[in-house]
Amino acid sequence: MAKVLVLAEHDGKNLKEISFELLGMAHRAASGGLVKALLLGEGVSELASKLAARGASEVIQVEGASVRHYTADGYCRALVPVIQEESPDLVLLGHTPNGWDLAPLVAARFGAPAATGCSNVVLENGKGRFTRKAFNGKFVHETEIEGARPMIATVEKGASTPVEGETSGTVRSVSAPAEAELRTRHVEIKKAEAGGLDLSQASIIVSAGRGIGAPEKLEVIRALAAALGGQIGASRAVTDAGWLPHEHQIGSSGVSVSPKLYIACGISGAIQHVVGMKSSGYIVAINKDADAPIFGVADVGVVGDLFDIVPALTQAVKDARP
Amino acid sequence: MKSLVLVKQVPDSNSAFRVNAAGTWVDETNLSYTVNDFDRYALEELLKLKDAGKVEEVVALTVGGADAAAAIRTCLATGADRAIHVKDDAISGSDPFVVARAIHAAIASEGFGLILGGLQADDDNHTQVGGLVAGLLGWPFASAAVGLSLLDASTLRVERELENNEVQVVDVTLPAVVTVQTGMNTPRYASLKGIMAAKKKPVSTLALSDLRLGPKDVEAKLRTVSLAPPPKGKGAEILTGTPEEVAKALVGRIREKTGVL
Repeated sequence: MAKVLVLAEHDGKNLKEISFELLGMAHRAASGGLVKALLLGEGVSELASKLAARGASEVIQVEGASVRHYTADGYCRALVPVIQEESPDLVLLGHTPNGWDLAPLVAARFGAPAATGCSNVVLENGKGRFTRKAFNGKFVHETEIEGARPMIATVEKGASTPVEGETSGTVRSVSAPAEAELRTRHVEIKKAEAGGLDLSQASIIVSAGRGIGAPEKLEVIRALAAALGGQIGASRAVTDAGWLPHEHQIGSSGVSVSPKLYIACGISGAIQHVVGMKSSGYIVAINKDADAPIFGVADVGVVGDLFDIVPALTQAVKDARP
Repeated sequence: MKSLVLVKQVPDSNSAFRVNAAGTWVDETNLSYTVNDFDRYALEELLKLKDAGKVEEVVALTVGGADAAAAIRTCLATGADRAIHVKDDAISGSDPFVVARAIHAAIASEGFGLILGGLQADDDNHTQVGGLVAGLLGWPFASAAVGLSLLDASTLRVERELENNEVQVVDVTLPAVVTVQTGMNTPRYASLKGIMAAKKKPVSTLALSDLRLGPKDVEAKLRTVSLAPPPKGKGAEILTGTPEEVAKALVGRIREKTGVL
């Protein structure tokens, strides 16, 4: 019988949605096998009960000062002995900033690579089949891992749905190793930029990607956003270039958004961007490249030059307003 | 302090990719190659530390075939002092763990104080070689850095990029491995003088036998089954016509589907 462990993510007060998605993915992968959750932290018993109610047959709650905050060293030291003792077939983490921090360290301890950014995981006869993306979402990369126990994988946000109904798992507490010699020490969590923009609550977003080409050309995006009464978003290429502040960035390392209307202009649709906007209500894509992955997630698209289409759309929006 | 940057030669991400005949990877003919974007930021960060007198030597290491020598030349021309090229088909065709094991074997006796690399490679997107190297060395690790500063000779303060416009500040005890995000600095380009100077800089080329690794050590545990374009899924309804026509049609769709107009 397959046995799968999942690492819950939380901020000390609330579990992150990925924790429940991982439990869902674990149940599918274990197909009737055992699914347990690992919860590391201090004073997080309430969170443990939530995991027990959402699909974990047992929650292993690792408590102690060394795991009060996430750090790679603290978590790795606390996790490895528990994983060794449990000896699961598979350990699932989120493909999140903390997941990609921790997964390779843990995988190295077990002498194998991790499968990262997975959208599906299948276990069969000691082998694991992992569906992931390569070339920033342009291709689906089917991979398998053989000869590793446990297998370590990170799962893309939104790739799985939580377990339905309520479960009644148990909670077991263990102590984390002492803090004394941690080599990665949490100092603080802070805002990257204090501009005060919160795109996560926006109901209309017009986003610019690499295709915008130059900062002064953002005017066409601003004009459309203004006509619609929406906010301006961006892909990483635009914020990396300094054309817009970082707080505009949407994606796995930026903000996750779910507006009623999302208009992607000159955005190819790299997976890192798509995970941050795919739950938008209605997605419009404007891109020169008919093969751009953005058209795979959009509801409606136009293949063409954004500098022709976007101004025309701005005018049409103005005309449509009473 | 001696420092190392891990770099990878990857196809230009703007290439028109096609799947190869075997359906196992992209067709590599007619692709142009470049240094992985993330790695350029890692190199720049080390060069900045060297300019500030905090690092004595910057070494560039790559794992790859003969073509990967171009990545090394770029790093040397940009300012790296010397390079290590792990060149063995058995390694470069293997998995991220084997690549990390080869890197570990190549540098175990070097005594680096800081190893930087890119968060991920633009081709396979595995996002793990840096962490695996740290794990094999038994060193601390931090990923997705958007800011680095040396607090003292043995402590590196790292700003790790999280979600929702947040960063975690962590103090990391050296020696350590850190991977970096794009956008954290402005990578410099090679000057003509740098390109000339690079020709005289030492490059050590290492094969499996130099690393004392046997065929068993480089067997992949993570294997590619297939590479394919994503399924079309629902796919977008594609509108055609003049800009004015599609704009009008878009307004109609937006009004109907979202009620925002």
